Amino acid sequence: MSSSTPSSSPLAEPSPLAPSGWRKLTRLVEPIVLLVPSGVWLLLLLVAPTLLILELSLIPGFRVGQAAGGYGIGNYIEAFQPIYFQVILRSILFAVGSTVICMMLGFPVAYWIAIMAPLRWRNLLLVLFVLPLWTSSLLRAYAWIAILRPSGVLNSLLNVLHLPNQDWLNQTPAVYIGMAYSFLPYMVLILYASLEKLDRRLLEAASDLGATPQQTFWKVTVPQTLSGIAAGGLLVFITSLGEFVVPELLGGASSMTMSRLIYNQFLGATRNWGLGSSFSILMITGVSIGIALLLKYGDRDTTVT
Amino acid sequence: MPLSNQKNGSDGDFDKSESLASRSQGRSPLPRFSPARRRFLKTSAAAASGLALANCARNLSNANSGSSPTATGSPASSPSPAGGSASELYIYTWAGYTDDALIEGFREKTGIQVVVDLYDSNEAMMAKMQAGGGSAYSIIYPSDYTVIEMVKSGMLTSLDKSRVEGLDALKPKWQNPVYDRGNAHSIPTIWGTTGLIYDPQKVGKSIDGWNYIWDNRKNLTRKVTLINDVREVLGATLRTLGYSYNTTNPDQIKKAFNKLVQIKPAIASFLTTGWEDQLASGDITVSMAYSQDAIALIDEKPNLKYIVPQTGSSVWTDTMVIPKSAPNPEAAYAWINYLLQPEIAAEMVKQLGIATPSQAAFDLLPQEIQKDVRRFPTEATLSKCEGIAPVPEKITEVYDQYWTRLTSS
Repeated sequence: MSSSTPSSSPLAEPSPLAPSGWRKLTRLVEPIVLLVPSGVWLLLLLVAPTLLILELSLIPGFRVGQAAGGYGIGNYIEAFQPIYFQVILRSILFAVGSTVICMMLGFPVAYWIAIMAPLRWRNLLLVLFVLPLWTSSLLRAYAWIAILRPSGVLNSLLNVLHLPNQDWLNQTPAVYIGMAYSFLPYMVLILYASLEKLDRRLLEAASDLGATPQQTFWKVTVPQTLSGIAAGGLLVFITSLGEFVVPELLGGASSMTMSRLIYNQFLGATRNWGLGSSFSILMITGVSIGIALLLKYGDRDTTVT
Repeated sequence: MPLSNQKNGSDGDFDKSESLASRSQGRSPLPRFSPARRRFLKTSAAAASGLALANCARNLSNANSGSSPTATGSPASSPSPAGGSASELYIYTWAGYTDDALIEGFREKTGIQVVVDLYDSNEAMMAKMQAGGGSAYSIIYPSDYTVIEMVKSGMLTSLDKSRVEGLDALKPKWQNPVYDRGNAHSIPTIWGTTGLIYDPQKVGKSIDGWNYIWDNRKNLTRKVTLINDVREVLGATLRTLGYSYNTTNPDQIKKAFNKLVQIKPAIASFLTTGWEDQLASGDITVSMAYSQDAIALIDEKPNLKYIVPQTGSSVWTDTMVIPKSAPNPEAAYAWINYLLQPEIAAEMVKQLGIATPSQAAFDLLPQEIQKDVRRFPTEATLSKCEGIAPVPEKITEVYDQYWTRLTSS
């Protein structure tokens, strides 16, 4: 503690108040010192860029390398054109869809690992589940192309089993598969963390009192893990809302999402950075409102990172 | 991360050991591994450039900081002990435009270490340059219409012709091109066409133009890929309607859009690169492609065929320019002069599947390559082709909005 070395600066007239003054100062300075690293980080890499985007979004038709016009809300008016609605709608659909799939696949797995699997296997199982995250998301998307394409692994397998072939690549199902695969580990991790804390005595009590397993699940397990469900769902929803690689590579000709739309405004033919920025701001605002609502009305224990 | 992918992509293009000996003998068996790997890396680079957007800071700084990862895997890229920029040349180019042999040859001759970064569209390159993220590059390879834009925004140095040797070896039409009169700012380096690649056996007949897709759209459900570029795709459609690639008439663009919507169910995806494996395996029947990508694949899979549509297509020239921000113009001139040598240019044609604007280099090529209409289409074909030219901003927006509608409906 810095308070232990108050005499490092020789004082001309040592006053009796000095020690308590130092303590006061320390109490004031300490939190600042502790907050500086993350504060600077946030300011430089989050707040400043966001403000920059906000500024660009308020310059109608801003194009880099050209004289900028005055401020205005022209970009936002343009952003609400009907042709962009289906892009926004598709992004939300993709995000909701993959969140639901991740939840349905992730909950049983997390439940099994946290409650039913032997204790000594738990860490290993978790690591195995998170293992795919260690490879590039791009590689994983390419792997799915190899699996899903008409002459790919999936159809070879289906042929062997005499099942009808599927043609999912370049269509919506491929996007859901790819996104669910990408984000499932996050969901499992978060659900595991909250299921692990589940009070098992309550499960026993429920069955002692005659609840069916189904009732126990819905009335005991789920309410206790609600915060984990909300946090996991939100994390997957937000990440899949901004996902670029999977829809781009697996989604085919009709897969334009918000990310691609923003990309096109920045790096495409029009290079309309102003419009692209306004899309970004709209997206940031939408997601922030979602998080704020969840924090306000969701479970207080929810730890959203 | 995206950057190292791209870098390795360019380094891995060709193994030096399998240089012309195997390649120049036409249809002889070609390296199995290298082209496929290159394609993969190339596509990764394309997709990764999108990823990089999500991380703007990295994107904008990578020209300076991201260069060291090249050191792995390629002798050409081991960092020179001298360090300083005088012995290094940063090149910003398209995938497949350089290879190890070229870079190594240049280093042997000049002692200058070349570091290659890749982009997959002129627009992405422009955005990076305009945002100030490209100050490390001394050579860039913009396409014809982008040269106009770059000159307009004052990004390019006027070339000192006294330091450029071998310009008179260019074919007459590249002596004074419309996009850059007298080659004041740019040196034409590579040209090619846009066309269709397909497997004649699967299709059962030979395709002669864009109309094939419309005529057979019922049987082609999700069997076609088109280039991921609004001007190329709408341009080709405009062309089938008898209009220009560069029309500024919104009615004509609208008609083209409506015509394009008819074949929407046939379009599997919009891919500039990344269609190759799906075409080779037969999952895709026809792909719209740039000639050098198509030729590179055909070298590997000779059963495929590339055609330039009879109704006309786009013909493009990629050039070398020196941006005003170039830290090492000396090395840039050395690179330009190196590539202008007929022997080197001819070598590039053989190795990279490209066409050269140099008459002297053309004369050095074996007959079979000279007569290869995929690389060098006949004048009759070329007369129907157009170069894509910039259109006013308002019209660009019209194109872009139709593109958004097309790719989101």
